[in-house]
Amino acid sequence: MKNHLRVLRAERDWSQADLAERLSVSRQTVNAIENERYDPSLPLAFAIARIFALRIEDVFTPDVEPPPDVEPPPDVEPPLDLTSGR
Amino acid sequence: MTSGPARHRVLESGALWFVLSVVCSLGGVWLAVRTLRRYTDPPPWGFELVLVGLGLIVVAGYAAWRLARAGIYSWLLPLAAFCLLLVEPGRAGDVRTWRLEWGVMGLAWTLAAVLVFARLLRRSDELERRLHLEGAFFGLCVGLVGSVVYALFENRLPELRGQWVAVVLLLSWWVGYLATARRYRWRA
Repeated sequence: MKNHLRVLRAERDWSQADLAERLSVSRQTVNAIENERYDPSLPLAFAIARIFALRIEDVFTPDVEPPPDVEPPPDVEPPLDLTSGR
Repeated sequence: MTSGPARHRVLESGALWFVLSVVCSLGGVWLAVRTLRRYTDPPPWGFELVLVGLGLIVVAGYAAWRLARAGIYSWLLPLAAFCLLLVEPGRAGDVRTWRLEWGVMGLAWTLAAVLVFARLLRRSDELERRLHLEGAFFGLCVGLVGSVVYALFENRLPELRGQWVAVVLLLSWWVGYLATARRYRWRA
């Protein structure tokens, strides 16, 4: 999985240690994620996205793009209508 | 003379604490055993040598505690393997009345080591846990292959001691940990 962690970190002038401290992980883990040696778990990926105030897909992108016939999900899902019944 | 950052790196890596713990364990155990074995015919300065030996063991314990507190597993595992080599479980059989005490003491130390390690693992992050999982898996595989090979040549090989098995398992866990760390470019 590719990521923009290095760029996002540089924009905020954060060191790897700064980001590691905010995420409560070790600096080596941030380094491994940044160098795309390790794909973080879903909770850690969400935590990273939250820290940069971005969506998870703005930070991480898959190595393999989805096939062109698959429609991307809408940005905002319509709320569920629970009152309409059957 | 090492410069400031270089000295800091040595301390951070845990190499210094590891060497200190190994040297003090070796010296302390050697002095304590050598003098305590001759308690009926104490050598000159026997009491003082026992005290020095115990002091060295305390220093070794402090160095090990520093490694554990910093969570430096890359040195903790070989240190545990080295300390296992210093244990002489066969001694319990020599003094029948002390067998229970030796057994309880050994069990207490083992449980304490397992608890410390479990606590360290809880404190570590997801990648470090993964390094340990893969390292321990490698250690288990080495242990399994080694056991099968030993079983094949059992009649021709010397009697296996449980202590050696534990040391080999710990060392292969350590090797697996280092190899996995290298794969993730984790500076172990």
